[in-house]
Amino acid sequence: MKYLVPVLLLAGCSSFKAPPVTVAPPWPDVPPSMMESCPDLKTVDTNTDKLSDVLTVVTDNYTQYYLCAGKMDDWNNWYNTQKKIYEKAVK
Amino acid sequence: MFEFIIQHILAHLPVWFWPAVAGAGLLLYFVAGVVAHFPVLKLYKWPVKIVGALVFVLGIFMFGGAGVTAIWQAQVDAAQAKVDAAVVASKSANDKLAQVRKQKNQVIVKRQVVIQERIVKDAAKIDATCKVAPEAIKDLNDAAANPETKK
Repeated sequence: MKYLVPVLLLAGCSSFKAPPVTVAPPWPDVPPSMMESCPDLKTVDTNTDKLSDVLTVVTDNYTQYYLCAGKMDDWNNWYNTQKKIYEKAVK
Repeated sequence: MFEFIIQHILAHLPVWFWPAVAGAGLLLYFVAGVVAHFPVLKLYKWPVKIVGALVFVLGIFMFGGAGVTAIWQAQVDAAQAKVDAAVVASKSANDKLAQVRKQKNQVIVKRQVVIQERIVKDAAKIDATCKVAPEAIKDLNDAAANPETKK
């Protein structure tokens, strides 16, 4: 008789199982600037023979490269940061 | 479906409900003993005892089930709190990333403007001693074109 209460409690516990519920963080957003494609490199006007015109286009293209390389760095940073946040949430 | 409804009901009952049911059953069981002392009610002694015992058993059984449901609900709430914190942290990280990128891009563009101004200033000197051959321009333009998108 003295075991009745614990036995009933355990029977109740084992009869009610937790339903499968998935609680997971939503897919993280990406800053819009990172979604833009890198532009094509600029070309020099074929009617010119001035070195200064060539230099202008070349330096423009260097700038495009650095802006585009920045996006690549951003993607790496974004991935590493969001991965840490996700892992902390589901741990 | 039935199990889900039961779980839902269990989750919304107050904590004291099932112990109270068990207590009521126990009380009923002992009241049956008192009832036996009255000749008119003596007839109901065993039915009341049985009902009291059944109510007691049900109360204890459901108290165990409610305990499991409460633990499960606490785990779900804790997980949801973590997810909510992650959403906030994710947005904050994105804002910070966009802000840092904006500053870095400003530095890059500012530097380009300075270089362009220098080219404009020195254009006369640069162009005085050198004329670029059309072949050089063609080679440079071909190198700048992306071969993947070139038709």
